[in-house]
Amino acid sequence: MPELVKLTIDGKEIEVPAGTLVINAARQVGIEIPAFCYYEGLALQAACRMCLVEVEKAPKLLTACTLPVAKDMIVRTETPQVAAARKGMLEFLLANHPLDCPVCDKGGECELQDMTFRYGAGESRFSEEKQHIEEQQWSPVVFFDRPRCILCFRCVRICNEGMGVAALGVINRGARSEIAPNKGDHLECDECGMCIDICPVGALTSGIYRYKTRPWEMEYAGTICTHCADGCKTTLSVRNGRVIRGNNRDHSGINGEFLCVKGRYAFDFLEHPERLHQPLVRRGVELQHASWKEAVALVAAKFNEVRERGGAFGVIGSARTTNEENFYLQKFARSWLNTNNIDHRRSGDVVALLDALAGLPGSLATTADVYHAGAVLIVGADLAQQHPLLSFQVRANVRHHGARVYVVHPHPQREDKVAAQVVRARGLAGIGQIREKLAGEQSLVVLFGEHIQGADVRRLVEMLPATARYVALVDYANSRGALDMGLLPDLLPGYQPAPAPGLSLQEMVGASLDVLWVVGANPLQGRARASGFLVVQELFLTETARQADVVFPAAAAYEKTGSFTNVCGEVQRLKKGPAVAGPKTDLEIMGLLARQMGHELAPPLPEAVFEEIRRSVAGYNIPYATFVTGAASATQYPNGPIARQGSSELIRSARDTLFTSGTLGRYCSVLNSVRERDLVRVEE
Amino acid sequence: MYNAPHPLEVRILTRRFGLPNSASIDTYLAHDGYKAIEKALAEMTPDKIIEEVKASALRGRGGAGFPAGLKWSFVPRQSPKPKYIVVNADESEPGTCKDRLLMENDPHQLIEGALIAARAVDAHAGYIYVRGEYRYLIDILDRAIGEAYQRGYLGKNILGSGFDFDLHTHSGAGAYECGEESALLESLEGKRGIPRIRPPFPAVVGAFGCPTVLNNVETFCSVPWIILNGGAAYANLGTRKNGGTRLFCLSGHINRPGVYELPMGFPLPRMIEEVGGGVWKGRKLKAVIPGGSSCPVLKAEETNLPMDFDSLQAAGSMLGSGGVVIIDEDTCMVKAALRIMRFYAHESCGWCIPCREGTMWLGKLLTRFHAGAGTMSDIDLIRELAQNMLGKTFCPLGDAAALPTISIVKKFREEFEEHLNGRKCPHEGKG
Amino acid sequence: MASKVQEIIGAASAIAKGMSVTLGEMLSPTITEGYPDEPVRFEQRYRGLHVLERDENGLEKCVACFLCAAACPSNCIYIEAAENTAQQRISAGERYAAVYNIDYNRCIFCGYCVEACPTDAITHGHGFELASYDTASLVYRKERLLAPRP
Repeated sequence: MPELVKLTIDGKEIEVPAGTLVINAARQVGIEIPAFCYYEGLALQAACRMCLVEVEKAPKLLTACTLPVAKDMIVRTETPQVAAARKGMLEFLLANHPLDCPVCDKGGECELQDMTFRYGAGESRFSEEKQHIEEQQWSPVVFFDRPRCILCFRCVRICNEGMGVAALGVINRGARSEIAPNKGDHLECDECGMCIDICPVGALTSGIYRYKTRPWEMEYAGTICTHCADGCKTTLSVRNGRVIRGNNRDHSGINGEFLCVKGRYAFDFLEHPERLHQPLVRRGVELQHASWKEAVALVAAKFNEVRERGGAFGVIGSARTTNEENFYLQKFARSWLNTNNIDHRRSGDVVALLDALAGLPGSLATTADVYHAGAVLIVGADLAQQHPLLSFQVRANVRHHGARVYVVHPHPQREDKVAAQVVRARGLAGIGQIREKLAGEQSLVVLFGEHIQGADVRRLVEMLPATARYVALVDYANSRGALDMGLLPDLLPGYQPAPAPGLSLQEMVGASLDVLWVVGANPLQGRARASGFLVVQELFLTETARQADVVFPAAAAYEKTGSFTNVCGEVQRLKKGPAVAGPKTDLEIMGLLARQMGHELAPPLPEAVFEEIRRSVAGYNIPYATFVTGAASATQYPNGPIARQGSSELIRSARDTLFTSGTLGRYCSVLNSVRERDLVRVEE
Repeated sequence: MYNAPHPLEVRILTRRFGLPNSASIDTYLAHDGYKAIEKALAEMTPDKIIEEVKASALRGRGGAGFPAGLKWSFVPRQSPKPKYIVVNADESEPGTCKDRLLMENDPHQLIEGALIAARAVDAHAGYIYVRGEYRYLIDILDRAIGEAYQRGYLGKNILGSGFDFDLHTHSGAGAYECGEESALLESLEGKRGIPRIRPPFPAVVGAFGCPTVLNNVETFCSVPWIILNGGAAYANLGTRKNGGTRLFCLSGHINRPGVYELPMGFPLPRMIEEVGGGVWKGRKLKAVIPGGSSCPVLKAEETNLPMDFDSLQAAGSMLGSGGVVIIDEDTCMVKAALRIMRFYAHESCGWCIPCREGTMWLGKLLTRFHAGAGTMSDIDLIRELAQNMLGKTFCPLGDAAALPTISIVKKFREEFEEHLNGRKCPHEGKG
Repeated sequence: MASKVQEIIGAASAIAKGMSVTLGEMLSPTITEGYPDEPVRFEQRYRGLHVLERDENGLEKCVACFLCAAACPSNCIYIEAAENTAQQRISAGERYAAVYNIDYNRCIFCGYCVEACPTDAITHGHGFELASYDTASLVYRKERLLAPRP
């Protein structure tokens, strides 16, 4: 703990840790010092000169963004001299800034606009012509308008320091300085849009949101991204029931300012023309539209018939449906369909990890831990492609805390750039090479991919210090939650052993079951169905849905309330964005089936099911207040041995890149348009 | 380039100028060359060297005038990092042309000065950062460095003392901004020439993140004489707190322009009349820029001053880098302000807002004003904009652009008024 | 006798006085509007049906900035923006209003939209015949609001 320093800002006495910058110290006592180039967490710049303040005994105004507090320092932020300086800076900024606020997409949420309103300089004293440069399009999602740019270099820094991509730079000098993309006239990068988000003016704007609407016309819903497992909060902006954009401008959620290309843009599948809006029923050879009533009655009758004669059911769940839906589904299957044939596509061996951590409480790392740990070990995973938030956290940790990063992977990774040591080898053998070094790490976070599974996980835990914390990397938004909710043939929710293990996913798709019920998954990709009756709940007519007898159109995660559990085991709440006509949430569909079958399971309401989860699933007894306010709550794991009964289980990552997202990704036209085909792939 | 010496000159740094083959090591060795480093290595401790430089009252010759000995003493002795010597040879100030003569005529003096500084702070590598336009000097310096290596004055175990020092030349790319020490270091490291946030200062965190002694060419060149003849002797040449001699670059409307080595505190009127031979074409003096284009101008009646750092500061200007620009009565001061502003608009690095935008818009305003399209309120606007830049920019370049502008508007306001209402510039065509 | 004469004179003068008003008004210009047989005259600043103006080149002035919608106290303006292309240029700015609806069921003719407009695109015309049996027909689309091409 650094010592505290006492200083006075605008007459308010305040004590802050030594080394705090004056701009942050002032914020603590509610004094806002304006700044464009200062951005917490990025390199200091002192370029915009907006934060000039008066410091007693200093001969001239000083920049609060680079000035560390000193003992008995007296700072004044609102003197006439300071006000004049701010106004002067704004006048310089506005000198060449086009007055096209009415057509600028930033209008209404522009920092320059706000500052001008607050500090004046709205009238121009220049009669010279402004320098006009045509707007440039750097990628399908990034537009650059040079005259609007105030050269705060935030974009350059976030791209370089934050993303580790360094796709943006500065060319020329003086008043002709401009931000330039890495490929001359276009960008080849992650297309994450961080530069757009961080831009205080409308210089960098989004190609997706371009001229769609204005910020005050939209409604906002902060929900959780439906793509990878990191669980970033994305705020969906909705107008007339359509999602117009996604971002995280309020920096709420575990991801802070971060969002990748998927979280920011990949919501357009909601409006994909192939989206299903009506149930489909197979009549003869063809799938034909049917009413909800007819489809539900048909499925319920079939289920009841098979159930009564003791036929075989198979149930395949999803890694993108909510915890509530997964819990309800397994309860439906186990208590009403009397089967343990329930599974989902598994992408990381979380179960083996939890088993290996028996007796080592508190050994799962949270997203925040990845940022705070003294050292990070990355084994066999392409974080930058598959877990962009964790990758961002690692880089931030190195920048802010000087963390030591160890990369064990046979192929080059982005994290190599910040690594203290890189081992070009696979899995445990690679770790063996740096075992001594790792043994000395007191605060180590280990991120490992699909290649370490089964008994290797236990070996991994035994090789590393007992204080190490772990993340078993999994693929999708609720991959972790599906495991916790017992979408497993041999484990009930909370990893309690099932009385008699059922069939795994691989076994189910090959077995001639009487009924196969697939909720939000695509297991029959490239293979023919073997079951008698196939019911599918899906957004699109996937390879599996095409073979179904009945297809229910399902709502996407962005259209639901509920909860997801991310890769680190943190539960976060989904907030319903747009309302959708036609499709129903998987929970509603299951509720309809249950009622039609004459079995009142439990009210199919997310809130009610979540209450049951909190009560009955070990580790999910999280504070309700934290949950409803949208914050992340870490779940606990059983901290005891997990009895496995399953024999064959296939754990395999889908190896999505930044620009793919399983079956869903195929319906995201934005992802497909920005995809850097030849450059990006996840190496085994 | 080299002009005949004037009898009033006190030739310390330039004493070898005009000798046949003055740039060669043989000439240098024949005239006290490398005696100082021999003395420093054999008889003096590093602390003693710094003491001697402090005693000489040698102040940085680049423009800011910071005491050199004090700067060297800031280098942390106990730092485990390597230390560097960086010679600032990015001489770009309009009106200043002394460093090129020093490097052209006596490169070994610079090498020896850098060597002594290296010894004083225990540095083992150094760089001479040469302005991009001075390409030809790099050849001269490289040749001299090669000679010094050959004779054992550079490299390993110099003169059997066990002290190692390597010296390299590095070319800039023609940016005025890189004359600013921290921008120079960025450029030296291969990055954009943009100043750094200070503190930390280069003495603590300089080149490649290591402690660095960074001085002007002339400063380093003064060191060998100081070591040989003692700091006190050097100090006595000048005035109090302003030790030694200084190379003044007389240019502009003067009969005998050139670089003259004069003791610090030499009276400006004598410099113009006696050394420089008076204002050209028999015209009267209008103004003087006393230390390069970034200094506030002095009106003719303000020029009765001794040329040292403190006197000029008291007069509201600066000694700067020694570029004394003489302006005659037929010069349009609006045009002078415009010319100066164009230079700074061209050279602004673009990093901070007031300098980047201020220089450009002031340039635009002055252009319009000089063309006769100005209004009365523009005069105040020019001054106000310059005032808005002053002291608010990231590095001194903004001040350098603002100071002369403010002083010209203040001291020659009537000339601005003469340009109003579409009137033709009264000095047009008088050149 | 005299009283009779006086009476007659009195009555005549009363009639003359009365008729002078009538006859005087008969000769002065009429102020009654002949609507609907004749067109209505308006004061210049009458706030009637909105007009979306065009510039001298016939391009729409509206750049779909939504400021009118933001200023509207009765929330009756609905806009969807789109981008001009080289092939299809609708407005002089970068963007134009692909959809611009005013709901005259709600409009209170306050003129705030006109005041808010940065390009003088929306103005009040003098149209006032807004009666309808069908509220749906009172949502005016852009095509109906646009000024004719010059």
